[in-house]
Amino acid sequence: MALLIGALTIGLILSLLALGVFITFRIFHFPDITADGSITFGAAICAVLLAKGVDPFLATAAAFAGGLLAGTVTGILNTYFKIQALLAGILVMTALYSVNLHVMGKSNVPLLSESTMGTYAERVGALVSGSAGDINLGGWLVSMRDISMLLMAFGMVALIGLGLYLFFRTHIGTAMRATGDNAQMIRALGANVEGMTVLGVAISNGLVALSGALLAQYQGFADVQMGIGMVVWGLASVIIGEALVGPGSLGLAFTGAVMGSVLFRLLVAIALRWGLDPNDLKLITAAFVFAALVLPRILARFEKKRGALKAVAGAQPESVLHA
Amino acid sequence: MLELKNVYKTFNSGTSNEVPALCGVDLNIEEGSWVIVIGTNGSGKSTLLNAAAGSFPVDAGAIRLADHDVTRWPEHRRAEMIGRVFQNPFSGTAANMSIAENFALATRRGLRRGLGWALSAELKKNLRDRVKQLNLGLEDRLGNIIGSLSGGQRQALTLLMATWLKPKLLLLDEHTAALDPKSADQVIQLTDEIVSREKLTTLMVTHSMHQGANLGDRLIMMHRGRILHDFRGADKRRLRVNDLLARFEEVRRAEQLDETAADMLRLTYI
Repeated sequence: MALLIGALTIGLILSLLALGVFITFRIFHFPDITADGSITFGAAICAVLLAKGVDPFLATAAAFAGGLLAGTVTGILNTYFKIQALLAGILVMTALYSVNLHVMGKSNVPLLSESTMGTYAERVGALVSGSAGDINLGGWLVSMRDISMLLMAFGMVALIGLGLYLFFRTHIGTAMRATGDNAQMIRALGANVEGMTVLGVAISNGLVALSGALLAQYQGFADVQMGIGMVVWGLASVIIGEALVGPGSLGLAFTGAVMGSVLFRLLVAIALRWGLDPNDLKLITAAFVFAALVLPRILARFEKKRGALKAVAGAQPESVLHA
Repeated sequence: MLELKNVYKTFNSGTSNEVPALCGVDLNIEEGSWVIVIGTNGSGKSTLLNAAAGSFPVDAGAIRLADHDVTRWPEHRRAEMIGRVFQNPFSGTAANMSIAENFALATRRGLRRGLGWALSAELKKNLRDRVKQLNLGLEDRLGNIIGSLSGGQRQALTLLMATWLKPKLLLLDEHTAALDPKSADQVIQLTDEIVSREKLTTLMVTHSMHQGANLGDRLIMMHRGRILHDFRGADKRRLRVNDLLARFEEVRRAEQLDETAADMLRLTYI
């Protein structure tokens, strides 16, 4: 049970990363890998501030702001300095590695006795249930801290997801979506495409850093290595989400990204439980994304070939059109 | 309304692919005038439109639009005054967004885009009324993805989007060239309707001699980055398709003459 709750919580926390990746990769068609650096950046800022005794909400907000800043730099490198999106992301990600070490002062900041958002959640949970001990959940004993943290993560993701959905349906949000869809058109309609792109990448990295801040508070430390491979992780979540909800409206796509992140984390937790070597995790994640990208194309080609064969046989000429 | 003074533009300057596209173009378009631009391939017709729209900075010269010197204005800033329809029906609309959302974008052309709700009830109502006038039967499909429509439908909608807020200048870049004849006719009819009703200052590039002869109140013919002929008033009204074809033939002959003359000189002197 603890395993399940843990997986759900981490899945929800990382769904903010998935939402960030969704914004850059899917809405802006901007392959931004700054996320590998900004998730650690968010965790580092938050952990250091917490260690100094800053209020957890303030520290988390500061991490979000740090992510915004990192994304802004990537966006500006891409739009005003005309550096390819991938390279701009690599540059900022690499630079952030040093920045993160400076922020933390060492490679790992533990959060053992500091008051975090988890502490807050636990306190609220205890207040609601009337006791601070473990609670009985359908026969399973669950620690108050775990269940409070899960509920808090769920609440935050729901709130942020709704906020994003509403934002992308305002005038400026709609213009941002159009920027990724058809830059020529939205420029002719008077939108500053460069500005829109910078804003989009900034928001994306803000979310990623927020995810990092929550992750650090949940697992109790920030580590300079924790961001490695996170873009691929987010991308895997987005792809699973798309498979779950199919093509559809924006709200559905956001929901899908969150669901994808949770499901992916659950699958990973189960695989690890069954004895998967944790060292292989990144390799398997990368292989999974590769398969998800390539399989649809191979299947389509296969279908086409079959359709063509059928057509030659004269059985069903329409199948060529369907393929 | 639009004034180009001695405008120069060369693409790929300094390379072996150097293309002089505009070579000292002077053009002054009065308010409410509908100017047709024709010319051979590579004569600089589209470049002229793009220079006015601000798609690239010009090498030399000045561009004035509605009493503003817009020479150094970026494209998105000029968009406040300019409505555009592109040759490619896919260029003027965001394919993965709904018809209504595309119009929501067009209603804020040149205006600040804040945190207001893009698809307001008021817009939806106005939109239904105005789309209904197109007689394309699209008024009940406003929530549909615009990419699911045909090229002709998309071009008609783009035209309506470009003129939703009355532009000081309407730029039409061969906006029917990629359509089938029937759709092209419909879009041209709609263009005529909107431009005449709103008295829009319009600059329209076309390949169709028929459109050139029948539309607009002024026609310029471009060749090699220069304005070769400029017909207006009664001269423009008298123009027929055959006259235009004759002008093209003239250009072709002149080109040939130049080449044979050059050959003769080479044979004689080298």
